[in-house]
Amino acid sequence: MLKTSLLSIPTLAVTLAAGLAFAAPAAAQDTIRVGAPLPLTGPLSPEGLKQQRGYDLWAETVNEAGGIDVGGTKMPVEIVYVDYESNTPRAVQSAERLITEDRVSFLFSPFGSGAAKAASSVSERYGIPTIAATASSESVYDQGYQFLFGTFTPNSTLTTPLTEIVVGADEEIKTVAIYARNDLFPLAIAKEMEASAAANDLEVISFDEYAIGTLDHASALTLMRQRQPDWVFATGYINDLILMRRQMSELGIHPKVLTMIAGPAYKEFIEAGGPLAEHISSAAWWHPSVTYDGEDIFGSTADYVAAFEAAYDAIPDYAEASASAAGAILQLAIEKAGTIDPQAVRDTLADLDVTTFYGPVKFGETGQIVSLEPPVFQIQDGEAKAIFPEAIKQADLVFGGIE
Amino acid sequence: MGRYGAQPVLYAQILLNGLVLGGLYATIAVGFSLVWGVLNVINILHGSFVVLGSYIAYFSYVHFGIHPYLSIVTAGAVLFVLGYCLQAGLINRVVGAPVLTTLVLTFGLDLIANNSMILAFSADYRSVTLANPLGSAIIGGLVVPLDRLVATLLAILLTGILYFVLVHSRIGRAIIAVRMDAEAAALMGVKVKRIYAITFGIGALMAGAAGSLLSLVFPISPLNGPEFLGIAFVVCVLGGLGSVAGAVVGGLALGAIQSFGALLFGPQHGLTIAFALLILLLIFKPSGIMGRRGYE
Repeated sequence: MLKTSLLSIPTLAVTLAAGLAFAAPAAAQDTIRVGAPLPLTGPLSPEGLKQQRGYDLWAETVNEAGGIDVGGTKMPVEIVYVDYESNTPRAVQSAERLITEDRVSFLFSPFGSGAAKAASSVSERYGIPTIAATASSESVYDQGYQFLFGTFTPNSTLTTPLTEIVVGADEEIKTVAIYARNDLFPLAIAKEMEASAAANDLEVISFDEYAIGTLDHASALTLMRQRQPDWVFATGYINDLILMRRQMSELGIHPKVLTMIAGPAYKEFIEAGGPLAEHISSAAWWHPSVTYDGEDIFGSTADYVAAFEAAYDAIPDYAEASASAAGAILQLAIEKAGTIDPQAVRDTLADLDVTTFYGPVKFGETGQIVSLEPPVFQIQDGEAKAIFPEAIKQADLVFGGIE
Repeated sequence: MGRYGAQPVLYAQILLNGLVLGGLYATIAVGFSLVWGVLNVINILHGSFVVLGSYIAYFSYVHFGIHPYLSIVTAGAVLFVLGYCLQAGLINRVVGAPVLTTLVLTFGLDLIANNSMILAFSADYRSVTLANPLGSAIIGGLVVPLDRLVATLLAILLTGILYFVLVHSRIGRAIIAVRMDAEAAALMGVKVKRIYAITFGIGALMAGAAGSLLSLVFPISPLNGPEFLGIAFVVCVLGGLGSVAGAVVGGLALGAIQSFGALLFGPQHGLTIAFALLILLLIFKPSGIMGRRGYE
């Protein structure tokens, strides 16, 4: 992870600049202030910067439209960022500082399940409605807290529908080989796959982990070739998965189904993978190919993707979309409540049942979203096509063709 | 396949995988080793040089259809000029200074190089997808990835050429002379600073050529620089510093150890095993497998 820290100098400059930019309007009384502790430098900075793009797009869109309608008055929003340098204890301090010194009315959680959970105790104590955009672990939400809401469903919602589709097809898929990057999310999702396989009578013929920074997968793949799994389920990040896919091809591994998480959700993966990306299946909490007609500020999914492209010249991924959605959901709750009173907004969030560009939004008892069906998709003809859920389905899962 | 019959083929396959990978490791390391050996400069920039070589190959292929095998020439030439200028203009000022000074200088240059590449090329991973890949051949039950194999053979050929140049050319002899004793070489009329610049240029050339070949193997991103630097480091210490043979032996050894380590102890431990052996080697034979004598 050291490598990403090299990014820190320019990002630090950007952060400082952003901090200065926000310093001026801070005095205004009629703005809605939302605190966002993010890892803008350090190993998690690529993720932190993604989330920032998502929040910024929401704030800019809102302010261009004149602000959030609070009981008839339009109030602009201001996001107050604090860089916690990828250091979780500092994320908690930042959250507290945002609430007590910067006097924010609402909070967006720090990145990932761990930091979101740690910071949630602070916002709970002060009674500040908080939305976590990138926390999927159920243990974040089962603390009995009233003010925490999350836009990611549990990890199992990524693996279960896919497993059911694969097993349910007429293709005699009996065995799966799981190959996971030994890293928080990639390993968690691989473990979830193991559970989904067990629940669907699939035999897990191997479960291997590889180290972060691995530059060669030949040994593991040579063994995989001997075992001839019907399904290969591999996790990691884009560089791992491109290298792995190439070596699978070189070593002649042709499973009937090849699933990779979390690379194929990115356009960059399809471009770098070329013909080798074809027929890889994947799942993510959101994908630009889904089609929802939202009542939030962004409107339809296509409108959101277009706005994002216009702003950043890139296709949004699920983390960016989830961050924008966190903003859009908060806005809907404030508008429905007609006030920025924390308790009233919290109660409205808890009762919310709306459709957004991101998908249907309804929070469960614990505050974690329950309405979202994360899409399963497959790369077909160089494009990610939705396979599941039924409402947005674009194609059937194609078996074979993994050359 | 019978249970027993399969095993020799498996081991042969793992060995083949390891050697093909190790040949690439050797080319990553050989330029780094040369610079360290001759200039006593630990060149932190080396990983970025390799990445830059990969980008040259990538853009040559995407825009002009030039095969990465051929881009070795352009990548090598560009990197040689860059390396020569950096050494002549900057690093020569601190050669002979305490190791921390040269380390800080090349570290700083690497930060600049790395961030410049992120700005210029973005941190997105790219990949050279050949229109007509050679694919794989099955020979005696072994799967041989042909593009990777050719890249490795070219890598070893390049390393051989470097060895030949060092041993048989005037420049090469001058480099070796400076490596052995810079003051004595200066007294014999060798322009030491110029030799330093040429050596650093050759180190960069080898990195660029390696990068060009690696574009066929690894995804390309500025974020890979530190990984390649790490490999260069380990290979040098493993094989022995400052010698071509040491880099080749170190590279092949690292590739093979990593492959068998991953097979026997699981893929998460391939690198662990390699580093554990490295520590043992440092304790019992600190001069590396090839010892100290291999100046060439």
